[in-house]
Amino acid sequence: MRIGLLSFAHTHAASYAGLLTALPGVEVVATDPDHRRRPGETGGAALAASLGVEYVEDYDALFDTSPDGVIVCAENAEHRPLTELAAARGVHVLCEKPIATTLADAHAMTAACASAGVQLMIAHPVRFAPGFTALRETVAGGALGEIVSVAGTNNGRLPRGERAWFVDPTAAGGGALTDHLVHVLDLLDALWPGSRVRSVYAVANRLLHADAAVETGGLAAFRLELDQGPPDTVGTGRSVPVTIDGSWSRPDGYATWGGLTLRLIGTGGISDLDPFALRVGGHLSSTANAAWIPYGPNLDELLLRSFLEVVAGRAPAAPDGSAGTRGLAVVLAAYASVRSGQPEPVG
Amino acid sequence: MPHTEPTRIGLIGAGGIAHQHLPAWLALGAEVIVYSHAGAAELVAEFGGTAVDSRDELLARCDVVDIVTPTPSHAEIALAALAAGRPVVCEKPLARTSAAAEQVIEAFEAAALPLYPGHVVRFFGEYAAMHAAVAAGAIGDIAVQRFTRTGSAPAAPWFHDDAWSGGLVLDQCLHDLDFARWNAGEVATAYALESAAGGVRSVQIVLTHVGGALSLVHGTWARPGTTFRTSFDIAGTGGVLTHDSADHAALRTDLGDLPVAVDTVAGGAGRGLLPAMPYESPFRAELREFLVGLRGGPPPRVTARDGLAAIWIAEAAQRSLDSGRAEPVLTGVVR
Repeated sequence: MRIGLLSFAHTHAASYAGLLTALPGVEVVATDPDHRRRPGETGGAALAASLGVEYVEDYDALFDTSPDGVIVCAENAEHRPLTELAAARGVHVLCEKPIATTLADAHAMTAACASAGVQLMIAHPVRFAPGFTALRETVAGGALGEIVSVAGTNNGRLPRGERAWFVDPTAAGGGALTDHLVHVLDLLDALWPGSRVRSVYAVANRLLHADAAVETGGLAAFRLELDQGPPDTVGTGRSVPVTIDGSWSRPDGYATWGGLTLRLIGTGGISDLDPFALRVGGHLSSTANAAWIPYGPNLDELLLRSFLEVVAGRAPAAPDGSAGTRGLAVVLAAYASVRSGQPEPVG
Repeated sequence: MPHTEPTRIGLIGAGGIAHQHLPAWLALGAEVIVYSHAGAAELVAEFGGTAVDSRDELLARCDVVDIVTPTPSHAEIALAALAAGRPVVCEKPLARTSAAAEQVIEAFEAAALPLYPGHVVRFFGEYAAMHAAVAAGAIGDIAVQRFTRTGSAPAAPWFHDDAWSGGLVLDQCLHDLDFARWNAGEVATAYALESAAGGVRSVQIVLTHVGGALSLVHGTWARPGTTFRTSFDIAGTGGVLTHDSADHAALRTDLGDLPVAVDTVAGGAGRGLLPAMPYESPFRAELREFLVGLRGGPPPRVTARDGLAAIWIAEAAQRSLDSGRAEPVLTGVVR
C-alpha cells in the first residue's frame, strides 16, 4: 500500500511519516512544494530525507506515483485544493483537522470526494483512544443513565514554535477555538451520532501571548440535541448543555503539549475521560521540569491504521467529511458569537 | 468586646452547616447557644452548647449571631440581630436577592456593626494557597480559569425550590462565582446553561471579567452517594495552577469488601454535601478569622460587599438561564 503525504506544513506530517514507515507493507511518498512559504522552518526534500521517506517535487508528481491514499497536512486554508486534486485522481484522503476554514470549502471537499467515489476522513486521533472506546461502551450500556451535562477541555501550548502559520488568521482560519473545539466536538459526534448543535455562545481573549494575531483563550457553550428531530423544528428530543475550554492555556515551558478531557454527568453517575492520563510522572533534573512520559497506544498510529482500513476498502471513513463539516460549522458559529457577544445560530 | 471576654455565639439554625459551625466555634473556645425551629436539642447533644427556646432569648444572651438557616430567612434574621445590636456571621448567600443583601449591608454599615458572609471556599487550603499565589503574581495575569464543584444533591427540599431558595446557582455555584471574581476581578457578563433529570442537576456558567479574563463555573448536584469533588484550572500569562480534589488525598483507606459506613473512616471520601477535609476544618479557619475581626483585629478576607457582588453575578446567570442570552452583571458600586 502506498500512502502520500501532501505537505509538511502541519507538524503531524512528521509523526505520520515515522509511524507509516514502521508499518509493514506501507510505502510512503511525500511532497512539500510550498515549504518556501515557511522560511526558516523545516520542510521539503531535507525534511523528507531526515524522516527517511521518498520525496517528489510537487503534487502532480506525487499522484503520478499512484498512491492508494493521501494525507493532507497543508495549512488549514489549503486543505480544499489538495483534497479536490486527490478526488480528481481517485485517491482516498485523510485530511488534518479542521476540515477547512470555510463551510464553502468543506462542502466542496465532501462533494468532490463523494462524486469521485473516494473516502474523506478527518484526522481526529482521540476518538481511537482506548479510554474513549470504554466511554462509548459505558454510555451505550446505560450506566450513566440520562446525560445531564458535558464539559470538555482541550488545552495546549501555543503551537507556533515549529510552525508560524498556526497563529496566522488566514492560513489557520483562527486561533485556539479553530484548533481545539473540533477535537471535543468530534468526540461528541462519535458518542451521539445524529446529534446536532443549533446555536453556540462563545467568548475569547488574547491575554496569553498578546503578540499573537489570533485568540489564545476561548470558551464555548451550547446545547447538544441528542435525538435529532425533523429539520426546522425546535425543542424536539433531549438536549444537553456542553461547554468546551479550547484555550491555548498551557505555558510555553509546560512538560507536554497539553491535553484533552471530557466529563459526562448523568443521572446514573459521572465519567471523566482523560486519554492522556497514561503517563509516567516525576521530575527530571535534565529539563528542570515535570517528567511526562506517555505510555499505551500511540493515538496517531491508531488513526493511521483506521485510515489504512478505509483505503483498503474494509471500513468507511470515520470521522468522515460530513462530521468534519459539522464541527467546523460549530466553530464558525462560535466566532460569530465572539463578535456579537450573544449566542449565534450554527450555519 | 474585650479580647479576654469569652465570646458567646448565638447560632440560629441546626441544619447541615450548623453541624460544621457548632463544633468549630466550640473548638475556638466560644460558648454557643443554639436556636432552631427543629433539631437544636439533637445538635447540642451531639456537639455541645446550649439550646434555647426562642430567638429573642438567643439574641438577649449572645454577643454574635451566626445565621445558618435556609437562604430566604437570612436577611430577616440579620436585621433582627442588628436591632438587638449584635454583629452577624451569615452563611452564604448573604440574602436571597441582591436587593435584600444591599438593604442588610447598608443597615449594618449605618450601625457600624460587623457583617461577615460565610464564603468558606476562600478558606479551603487548596483554594487559599492558589489565591495567595495568584495575588502574589505567580502566574501573572489570569486569562482563562475553570472551576468545577460536584456533590450529592442536598436532601432538604428547600434547596430544590428555585424560586424560594435560588437553587443550584445561588447555593452551590455562588462559591465559585465568588472565587472567580476574587481571582480575576469584577465580572461584566454571565451566560449560563442548565439541565436536570432524575434528581441530578448541573449548571455551567461562562463569565467575562471587566479586565478581559474568562471564567467557566460548572456546578453539579449529582446522584446520592457521589463523592464530593472540586477542581480548578487557573491559566495566566506566567503559568497555570491546577487542583482536583480526586487527585490529592492525604489519606486513602481501602476497606476491601468490608461494609463499613464511609463516615467511620477518618479523612473519609466526603460523599455528602461537603468535601473531605483532611486538615483543619476550613469552617474553623473561617470562623477564627471572623472572630479576630469581631474582636477588633484585621478584617476577614471576605466582606459583606463581596457577598453582595457574588449574588449580583449569580443573578446575571439566573437571568441568562431565563433569556438564553449573555446577561450583564447589574451592580451598584462596590465600596
